[in-house]
Amino acid sequence: MTKRWLASFWLLALLLPWQAQALIIEITGGSEAALPIAIVPFGSEGFSAPEDISAVIQNDLSRSGRFSPLPESDLISSPHEKSEINFKDWRLLRSEGLLVGKVSSVDGETYQVQFQLFDVYKGQQLVGKRYQVPASGLRRLAHQISDQVYQALTGEIGVFSTRLAFVSVRDNSDGSKRYTLQVSDSDGANPRTVLQSKQPILSPNWASDGERLAYVSFENGKAEVFVQEMRSGRRNSVAAFKGLNSAPAWSPDGKKLALTLSKAGNPEIYVLELASGKLSRVTHNSQAIDTEAVWMPNSRELLFTSDRGGRPQIYKVSADGGRAKRVTFEGRYNASPDISSDGRTLAMVHGLNGQFYIAVQDLDSGAVLVLTETGRDESPSFAPNGRMILYATEKNSHGELAAVSVDGRIHQRLGESDRDVREPAWSPIRK
Amino acid sequence: MIDNILAGSYSLLLHAVLLGLFIIGMDSSSKPHFVAPKKVDIVQATVMDEAQVLEEMMHLQELEDKKLQEEKERQTKVDEKLEETQKELARKEREFLDQQERAKIEQQQRDVKTQQEQDKIKQLEQQRKLEDDKRIKAEQARKVEEDRTKKAEQARKLEEDRKQKAEQDRLLAEELKQKADKKRREAEEKQRIAEADRKVEEQRQRDAERKAQQAEEDEKKRLAKLEQDRKKAEALKKKKEAERQMQDSLAEEFAKEAQEREATRVAGIVDIVVLQIKQKVKRNWNRSGATKSGLEVTLHVKLMPGGDVKQVSVIRSSGNAIFDRSAETAVYKAAPLPQPKDPKAAAELRDFQFVFKPE
Repeated sequence: MTKRWLASFWLLALLLPWQAQALIIEITGGSEAALPIAIVPFGSEGFSAPEDISAVIQNDLSRSGRFSPLPESDLISSPHEKSEINFKDWRLLRSEGLLVGKVSSVDGETYQVQFQLFDVYKGQQLVGKRYQVPASGLRRLAHQISDQVYQALTGEIGVFSTRLAFVSVRDNSDGSKRYTLQVSDSDGANPRTVLQSKQPILSPNWASDGERLAYVSFENGKAEVFVQEMRSGRRNSVAAFKGLNSAPAWSPDGKKLALTLSKAGNPEIYVLELASGKLSRVTHNSQAIDTEAVWMPNSRELLFTSDRGGRPQIYKVSADGGRAKRVTFEGRYNASPDISSDGRTLAMVHGLNGQFYIAVQDLDSGAVLVLTETGRDESPSFAPNGRMILYATEKNSHGELAAVSVDGRIHQRLGESDRDVREPAWSPIRK
Repeated sequence: MIDNILAGSYSLLLHAVLLGLFIIGMDSSSKPHFVAPKKVDIVQATVMDEAQVLEEMMHLQELEDKKLQEEKERQTKVDEKLEETQKELARKEREFLDQQERAKIEQQQRDVKTQQEQDKIKQLEQQRKLEDDKRIKAEQARKVEEDRTKKAEQARKLEEDRKQKAEQDRLLAEELKQKADKKRREAEEKQRIAEADRKVEEQRQRDAERKAQQAEEDEKKRLAKLEQDRKKAEALKKKKEAERQMQDSLAEEFAKEAQEREATRVAGIVDIVVLQIKQKVKRNWNRSGATKSGLEVTLHVKLMPGGDVKQVSVIRSSGNAIFDRSAETAVYKAAPLPQPKDPKAAAELRDFQFVFKPE
């Protein structure tokens, strides 16, 4: 029935006059340049907002490499809502998107923020919303608006409102060091210290709820694994076995941790069930170091680094144990795996001529693409949308954070450069 | 020798019987176990006597019960009797042996006599055979001679018969030959006459055929001439027709050519302008929003005179809204699209489709 209806529909379509003419012009190629977008500074009705929301958005979009916001000097007018927009004028500027909005104070502490994104050529609104937030929430709201603009124009999920965890090291005047575990906005700004210690802190890893961090702390004189809740700051040691307790990695459901323990004498991968404390051993290779486990999105398998083949390479193993299968074959050194949320792209540290780069491997084809050029790169961590990879690099013997797109075309430097930072971890999308 | 053994056996037997009697005599209560042999007649005769003795013995035994006092006397009598019987048996044995010896000697004498007679008979027989042989050989010689004479006679007769037969055959063959010659001569004559007849007939036929052929050829010539005339007329007609048609089609051709020239001219203009449109739209197409490969969208575009976009609509979506929008935006951004001055070419570029695909 439906088929017959469709057939007659097509027959009818064929008889339409424009179809009869059938002049077809084929367009191939096209550029993949950053999309031009006009971001008009949000109106603020005669008061100075504590946060320049449009500036945060402009910075977010610009930093992503996917957009090229028009310089403010090119803007021909300053509309704040649709009635004030003459689309013809904006078309002359060749900008495809137009973002307008305004902030108004409800009382001294609460602000109302609204924004609208338009398709300049069609003269249509693509997305528009209104919020009420406290002053302290304005910056976070700006990141959320960035996410919505990003999604409306690229079709992908924005990750501007996610956070980064990393370890910062400072030298004290007495020669000792101060280690802090910090959490910042996705642009590296607004860092907050969640833990500090005179002993090293390593390997922070976010649970999928974005509310818990697991990490390694040497505060008790040896490597122990802790879990800390972000809101309450409550923390407790979950693995303090004899020997090494390191490299925690949350399972996708947030109920288990994959760990590297040497309680049996040699570093092996284990899985710890947090609620029951049940520990199960995954690898059994007493001749080699197995470490840096990460869960595949299917929750059934783990990727980890092992030198069982003589040199560090990445292997895959069932979370229940069993035989490990080698995954990386390109080059003599591949370590520190992370996996994209779709499970198709592996990020890793790739050794080449004594230097270490961030590289990705397509797990279907096995093709490897080296993304960075600095040569002293480590700890890759995927953005939750899989477009960018956060990593630590070294500049002037200082560790700093950087990000690179999975196609290697967009490079970013994050945060201020006076800190010595390392071991970054990109948070999941906050729910 | 065999006789000796036989004689020995008999004597043994006799002794055994005597012993048996002795035992019976000693123990009269027991039953006799031996049964007298039945095979030898001579012994049977002896046993008959023995039986009598036995009977007497038994009788004596019976008496013994009654007259115990006579026992000893009677025993002696029995002994005497036994001895007597034994003597008698020995005597008889001797007689038997003598008799056998005599028979043997007699037999030998008989054998010698018989041998002598047989030798004599053999001699006589040989003599008779020699005489017979001589006689048979003479007879055979006679018979051979007789056969030879007979065979010669037969051969002679056969030769005579053969000669006679040959003569007869020769006469018969001669007669047949004469007959055949005659027949052949007659047949030859017949054939000669028939040949003459045939020749005459053939000549007649040939003449007839020649006449018919001549007539046919004449007819053909006549028809050919008629055909030729007709063809000539037709060709002439055709030529005239062709000339007329040529004039018609030339006019038509001219019109067509003019039309085609015009179409080509318009198409050429359209081609150039399409190329310009392509390049301008492509320059304005930013598909960075949608990076997934394999996407393709078809748009329907209507232009206003001058090339401004009147309407853009998605006919076949790529399934990706961002990609579809990037194509639409490219068309809008490229406006006004290049338009030809020629009105005919411009008319063809008011309404068309775009297919957007990355590769």
